[in-house]
Amino acid sequence: MKNRTHFPHIYLGVIMVFMYLPILFVMIYSFNGGRSAVLWTGFSLDWYRELFRDSSIFDALINSVVLATLSSLCAAVIGTLGAVGLSRVSLRSKGVVEYLSTLPIMIPEIILGMIFLVFFSLLGLPFGMTTLLIAHTAFCIPYVLMQVKARLVGLDKSYVEAAKDLGAGELRAFVDITFPLIRPAIVSGMLLSFAMSLDDVIISVFVTGSNVNTLPIKIYTQIKTGVTPKTNALCTLMFLATLFLGLLSMFIGRSRKGSNKQPDATTNLNINEETGG
Amino acid sequence: MKKMKWLAAALVLVLCMTGLAGCSSGSSNTLTLYTWEGMFPDEVLSGFEEATGLKVNYVNFDSGETMLSKLQAAKGGDYDLAIVDDYIIETAVNEGLAQKLDTSKLSNYGNINSIYQGQFYDPNDDYTVPYGAGVMTLIYDPSAVDIDIKGYSDLWDESLRDKVGVIANPRVINGMALKVLGESYNTEDTEVIERAGGLLIDLAPNIRLIKDDNIQVDLLSGEISVGVMYTNQVALAKLENPDLEIVFPQEGIGFGIMAGFIPSNAPNADAAYQFLDYILDAEVAARCFEWLCYYCTTEAAEPYIDESVKGFVTLPEGFNVNMEMIQNVGTDIEEIHTRIWDEFRAACGQ
Repeated sequence: MKNRTHFPHIYLGVIMVFMYLPILFVMIYSFNGGRSAVLWTGFSLDWYRELFRDSSIFDALINSVVLATLSSLCAAVIGTLGAVGLSRVSLRSKGVVEYLSTLPIMIPEIILGMIFLVFFSLLGLPFGMTTLLIAHTAFCIPYVLMQVKARLVGLDKSYVEAAKDLGAGELRAFVDITFPLIRPAIVSGMLLSFAMSLDDVIISVFVTGSNVNTLPIKIYTQIKTGVTPKTNALCTLMFLATLFLGLLSMFIGRSRKGSNKQPDATTNLNINEETGG
Repeated sequence: MKKMKWLAAALVLVLCMTGLAGCSSGSSNTLTLYTWEGMFPDEVLSGFEEATGLKVNYVNFDSGETMLSKLQAAKGGDYDLAIVDDYIIETAVNEGLAQKLDTSKLSNYGNINSIYQGQFYDPNDDYTVPYGAGVMTLIYDPSAVDIDIKGYSDLWDESLRDKVGVIANPRVINGMALKVLGESYNTEDTEVIERAGGLLIDLAPNIRLIKDDNIQVDLLSGEISVGVMYTNQVALAKLENPDLEIVFPQEGIGFGIMAGFIPSNAPNADAAYQFLDYILDAEVAARCFEWLCYYCTTEAAEPYIDESVKGFVTLPEGFNVNMEMIQNVGTDIEEIHTRIWDEFRAACGQ
């Protein structure tokens, strides 16, 4: 079963060159002695020292992570409800509703940002974490909605019908049958949302208040004065943290698979039938 | 079910954290400073916190236009001090978003360099304290250029074919041609602007590249030999290679000023006064401008500025080239500028 094409290698090579080589350069320049993020002037750890002295960067980082977590959770709930609801109705206006709910992705961010700004100030909401959360949830919902919708399309209706046949109520059937089956889609939608929220700057800059700064805003607004290797140092640490988490989850996943093979959704069904009755 | 519990626990934790984050602001001992990231060195911000016991809440915007719309939405409240470009301040003042300064509260007010005062955005210095100026100089590598560059008109010299790099700022580059014609940056004479556009087309063969970010790297690497670039890019280039030559163009110099103003409903205007006074202190200002690499607007600070940067953050002794600010012009004039800029770019093949 030897792989006869070189295509995977070419693919891997392209990915490495276009995605990881730039990251490597960012990491190398975080050790730059000079103030420039493009010209090498010698090795030093000064920028890491600067970074750890700057508490406002870590405040911004915490704000960003909190915001991304909360908005992806909110988007998961609303997006899932929306997708499940849409899969059940057969109205003629369904297409319109689906189109409307994915619209936030199509509208240019800058316009969305302006709209939110005007809307929130009309409502008199104080700008800050609340407004950020509402805006981020709004543009994250389509990611969850589309993922879950696609998953629901491929789902056999007979599972739910079987559960109802055996006496499960609407809620019970959702919790025990539908939810486990669409969980992978929800999780991947949430991860997408998390990433989208974490790196959003255009909308955030409009809807944030005087007391909340997010990390992308902090980095992006350096354009006036020039980006220093301090940002490279931060990127390096964040990349390493992400890499570590990724490897950790892979490691845990593998060891769990080794010890007790996780039952997939259909075998889950049988177990539920046995124990739930 | 265990997973659900974990999820719930994580949610509660996150909610607590946001709750805490919400509590930390809005008190009377906080200064909410609204400007770009990186405008002050950390030592100055922490020095201010130590000296006054106030906490600096440093919030950022990406452009002056964003700042303006945020300030409009907040009706001049929420922020104690905003530092932004001149032309935006003009609009902010016109819309009543700035409050008049009580200069008696600023013991270091006299330290300001008067060249940068009384400008179009605040003719009577009622509202603003300048913090940093961008001065449109030329920078070139004498070893790669055969002629002695004295002003903008030298850029048209044939020996500079394919050697010049300029920033992608229409008003600055069109203005360069206007200056060669001996006109004002802000002329509203459409025929003059058209002539300047024609002059720019003649410049096209000499243009190697037009770009905004990191153009100083192209000068350092030898990709270009002459550059028209932003002040801090000139500074960065000169810091890396002291052999580069900075020229104050003889035709006249354009400049822009960043200045701080207190929004009309600032929650803690007192803190803003304390901060303005702090950064106007001669030695503190010297640290600021060494870091910022924009021209020093606090004259008293000049003796304290490190020699290695002094040359390009202070105006030379006996400086008397005519200086002019780039101001807001009418939309129809703005349109002509955009059009001749597009034609220039097309002629350069960019």
